[in-house]
Amino acid sequence: MIVVDEYLAIRSLTGVLPASLPDEPLALTTSAHWRILQRIHAPGTGQLSLAMGALSPTGRAALREPVPAVLEVVDPRPLLDQAAEIAAAYGNTGWLVAETLVAGLSHGRQLWFGNERNIGRRLREIADDLGVAIHLAT
Amino acid sequence: MTSKGEELLAEFRRQRRAGDPRLTEEDKAILLRITMGDLADEFADSLAAISDADPLLGGGPDAQDD
Repeated sequence: MIVVDEYLAIRSLTGVLPASLPDEPLALTTSAHWRILQRIHAPGTGQLSLAMGALSPTGRAALREPVPAVLEVVDPRPLLDQAAEIAAAYGNTGWLVAETLVAGLSHGRQLWFGNERNIGRRLREIADDLGVAIHLAT
Repeated sequence: MTSKGEELLAEFRRQRRAGDPRLTEEDKAILLRITMGDLADEFADSLAAISDADPLLGGGPDAQDD
């Protein structure tokens, strides 16, 4: 199983994945899923929100509750203590960065992103320090 | 000749690579605009804004500085 970001997770639902992405089951962290859910349930007024609003009810359901056969959401409970350790060691990283890094450590020491802008500087620096490889697949 | 296990694994792979059957073709087009098309940058801005608005999610100043 490999941990992917919001971009690759959503693409997995469409069945259109980058050729460079390993052919393995894909998993999304709860924090990344939370950000997708925020965009669905608390839309803004821009083009993105208009597009999200045009999804069918079943399309919204696919984002809200992914089918594990296509996309798993990582159970955060076994990761919580290590995530807190990372957050403390690197100075209040927040749940998103801490959970993502621990999930990456637990699943092959790798993280996969579908958009370079979605790789934060802090995440990149700590991943480098922990030996978690960051890959970009577009 | 393939074993039953191999057939099952191939079926799991097929399901995984096919995407979610609940999506309509219109849904797929929207989601590809968001992830690969003209809305990809707005999506990145939106995700960053969600993190920035929530210190528990996005973090903040080093707590050891308090």
